[in-house]
Amino acid sequence: MKTHIEFTRSVIVPPATSPVMREIGAVLEFSGVVRESENGEQIPGLRYEAYEPMARTQLEKICAELSAKHPCEEIWFIHRLDFVPVGEASLFIRINARHRGPALALMAELIDRLKADVPVWKTSNVLH
Amino acid sequence: MKIKILTFAQTRTQLGFDEKDVECHAGETPREILHRLAPQFDPGKTVRVAVNQEYADWDQPVGNASELALIPPVSGG
Repeated sequence: MKTHIEFTRSVIVPPATSPVMREIGAVLEFSGVVRESENGEQIPGLRYEAYEPMARTQLEKICAELSAKHPCEEIWFIHRLDFVPVGEASLFIRINARHRGPALALMAELIDRLKADVPVWKTSNVLH
Repeated sequence: MKIKILTFAQTRTQLGFDEKDVECHAGETPREILHRLAPQFDPGKTVRVAVNQEYADWDQPVGNASELALIPPVSGG
């Protein structure tokens, strides 16, 4: 399985679709978008920081572990850092797999693991 | 030997620095090193520690590690 992990400080641009692989039957994409309120307060956006080398290592381990459980062919993972305005994506994931079942399962578990174990943090900039 | 202490998010605010080189010896644990550096800081049950970019035990000696990071609850996505 191929894994592409990227941290960027600018707007996330989804990568070009992978070269045609005739055995890919499921292409699943997820974008995590910043909402206009956080804990009931209006915000202009969220600020993200990461311990990048460790985040990358953790993500590689998690992707390898999950793809052994849910066989997929390719994972693209892009997390934006620094300030992300409301309405823009802080996270983009694309999974290419032969079948939808493993792609959907891997996607759900990858996001759960991101939120539990990958050293990335957000803080909100509240409007006052 | 020296070990680099890294802090993030709320631990950076609590400790007042983002990285610092600290003298230590291989038999010391992350908890002991942190206590010597900032006796007022209590990681409690929520702040994890990473040694050389791997989650580690607060009470396991650091050996010849070069980096120790404080990992408060993560919130990516």
